[in-house]
Amino acid sequence: MSSLRNNGLHIKHLSIEYKGGSSVLGDVSLTLPEHAIYTVIGPSGSGKSSLMRAIAGLLPAYRGEILFNGQSVHRKETLIGLVPQNYGLLPWKTVQSNIQMAMKIAHPLQQQREQEEQIRQWLTSLGISELKSRFPLSLSGGQQQRVAIARAFAILPTILLLDEPFSALDAMTREALQKIFLDNWLAHPATTLFVTHDVDEAISLGQKIIVMPSNQKDALEIVDNHTVFQMKHQDKRDSNEFFEQTKRIRKVMQEKW
Amino acid sequence: MVKKRRLHHLARLLFVFFCMNVIWYIAFLLMNHPILPSPWAVYNAMIHLGAQEIALNVGYSLVRIFAGVVLALLIGMLIGLLMGRSQAWNKLLDPVVYLTYPVPKIALLPVVMLFFGLGEFSKILMIMLILLFQVIISVRDGVKAIPENTYDVLTSIGASAAQKFWHVTMPGALSVILSTIRISLGTAISVLFFTEIYGTEHGMGFFIMDAWLRLDYAEMYAGIMLFSLVGFMLFMLVDYLDYKFMQWRN
Repeated sequence: MSSLRNNGLHIKHLSIEYKGGSSVLGDVSLTLPEHAIYTVIGPSGSGKSSLMRAIAGLLPAYRGEILFNGQSVHRKETLIGLVPQNYGLLPWKTVQSNIQMAMKIAHPLQQQREQEEQIRQWLTSLGISELKSRFPLSLSGGQQQRVAIARAFAILPTILLLDEPFSALDAMTREALQKIFLDNWLAHPATTLFVTHDVDEAISLGQKIIVMPSNQKDALEIVDNHTVFQMKHQDKRDSNEFFEQTKRIRKVMQEKW
Repeated sequence: MVKKRRLHHLARLLFVFFCMNVIWYIAFLLMNHPILPSPWAVYNAMIHLGAQEIALNVGYSLVRIFAGVVLALLIGMLIGLLMGRSQAWNKLLDPVVYLTYPVPKIALLPVVMLFFGLGEFSKILMIMLILLFQVIISVRDGVKAIPENTYDVLTSIGASAAQKFWHVTMPGALSVILSTIRISLGTAISVLFFTEIYGTEHGMGFFIMDAWLRLDYAEMYAGIMLFSLVGFMLFMLVDYLDYKFMQWRN
């Protein structure tokens, strides 16, 4: 059983300060089991993005520990797929070569032909196979975000981090992408943290919902969401449970924000 | 559509070229003096130069330009990159670059000749000096203009410094590098002319001055036209590179 306890992403007493001593995240502890998906919701300035950046290894310094399966998350074996809010695509590379570049860096020994075949499959399952030779600047926000998600899935990451990926998109595009994302995640369940500022999105996509407090000294509130998560995606929003869950989250938000 | 526009562009170029020849011919008629031969005489001289002689002179000039450009790019990109990516290096090198940048590089010609003699090296060095500072400054600014978060996804999947350079820094700065080359190429070609006046028996500069000394004005003009053609081809090459690597902007 002890090995089971070590499984997943463990964040222990993480606190982040920026230069000049202003604290952005104070003493966060969190456990995310392997192959689980949790959504993170919090007000601006609550340190959501900093939390993601710390896990992704983009912050030079923080206090505390971030472990995956008992070892540091920053080892080369722990592959991290990041989907930033601005999509993070390189404008000078086509859709295809954006994804291929990431795959080559993540899996240098893989055959090129195999990679191309996988890229083809990912582009198809995200519904953008006809865009493969286009450059990102010629794509709409929704299309770019599909590419970013395809790229994150294509490297078959151990941990998947999404930082408000759909917040710049209109409501229709957002809901379509949520479904596509979830379908793909269910087929390849990487250990996932999904940051959002949208309550509905948090309830639609997370097995548990982490509510970050606006005051750093308060503890995180973790709301179980398995009942909604197990429903069919298209039924979620009309269900009673979804409604109840919305009320519960809003209540937590009122107390903590 | 694109093809049609390009044909149009070409037709306009040819038309302008034709008009310049007409003006030249009128000037020739008005002057009626051996220092300005007619276009026919010059083109005739050009045809009679012989492919081998042209190839030799143009080849020498091109090799010198390429060596200078490549050296300037290598050194300039290294320094520019260092200054763009590291605050400490920028603080150290910034005053050096700004103090030396306004020095007219052509004024260094006698210094370079004193130190490195009249041979190939001093010619290439002059071209490199002309380009170097502009390359440094534009690479530094180009690298600085790449938003820091462009590197995030690569960093998070564990890309090495070399991979980040190849996939982000280099293509991100390429556009400014190309426009710098385009701007400084003209200066580099004029300096090449100066350096080819001495210590060599090949190159377009030598060819033009040699014809001038022999009072063979038709051949001198033919040399000038060829020299211009070489410059024109180089510009076309930079334009082509720009078109090829900058497709993503449209």
